[in-house]
Amino acid sequence: MELRVTESSENELSIEIGGEDHTFMNVLKGALLEHDDVSAATYDMNPEQSGGQTDPILTVKTIDGVDPLDALEAGAATVREKTSALREAFEAA
Amino acid sequence: MAPAYDVEFVEREERKARFLVRGVTPAFANGIRRAMVADVPTMAIDEVRFIENSSVMFDEQIALRMGLIPLTTPPEGEFVEGDTVTLAIDVEGPGTAYSGDFVSSDELVKPADLNVPIIDLKDGQRLEAEADAAMDRGKSHARHQGGVAVGYRHLQRVEVVGDRDQFEDEEPHIVRGVIEDDGELVPTSEFDHDLTVRYPGKEVRIEDVPNAFVFHVETDGSFSVEELVTRAIDSLEQRARELEDAVQL
Repeated sequence: MELRVTESSENELSIEIGGEDHTFMNVLKGALLEHDDVSAATYDMNPEQSGGQTDPILTVKTIDGVDPLDALEAGAATVREKTSALREAFEAA
Repeated sequence: MAPAYDVEFVEREERKARFLVRGVTPAFANGIRRAMVADVPTMAIDEVRFIENSSVMFDEQIALRMGLIPLTTPPEGEFVEGDTVTLAIDVEGPGTAYSGDFVSSDELVKPADLNVPIIDLKDGQRLEAEADAAMDRGKSHARHQGGVAVGYRHLQRVEVVGDRDQFEDEEPHIVRGVIEDDGELVPTSEFDHDLTVRYPGKEVRIEDVPNAFVFHVETDGSFSVEELVTRAIDSLEQRARELEDAVQL
């Protein structure tokens, strides 16, 4: 997984996530939006309809005083918690 | 804040299952579905060396057919993407060459079904070839797709709200999937998908149960349904972990 920050400010971050598609991006976006300190989260699969670029760009906006990078880390952790919870529930069934 | 999920099987077979997951968001449900279709690696033939092919079809056509034969996929950890296993076939006509005629060099990787016809050989025709099976993901080619019919629907709750008007025409009320009636899960196939069969003369109301999805999962025989679902969950989890690690740096 290759990450490249395309835009970064105090409360906003745009980051390109190499090699991913809707499968992971939408799950991640959903998880980010569950966090109260994230005010907006979205991703664009074909930014600017640019020639051939299809790596998704994730944009995260946070409330004041929260580093968007930390929010992203927390979002990824949420996805991980969800997957392990689901695995447990599935194996128990 | 680990979410509370609840999984309940409605139908359960080796290659086909229907199960209900409660507490899951639409985004997460779709992630799991997509991962099952495109991200769980399976074995499939991807290179064929023909020694003799005097059948009526070109080498390339037969190679494509061989590629689409489902092969059993070894347990996780035994193989990684890029590893190959060789399978050999040697059939002489008259007769049909079947997937079951393949002899594998590895017990773990062999045709999942033995009765997939490859080609009908006439008198004197012969097919002899060596094939390399490789591990890859459904994203790269359909032959590596382990889940063949994977989807989900909302669980639907049915409630009887009263009696139907005396002179109202009896019209079929078709619902497909699984309904919940007083906490009991009923596949709609039990009443021919028609609510008027189950609740004759009643007026019913149906609504989607929020965040409760009934998954229908069918595999091509590469592995069991349980294996497919667990590996799909693993694949998502691994990516989340990768991202977490990458962000921490």
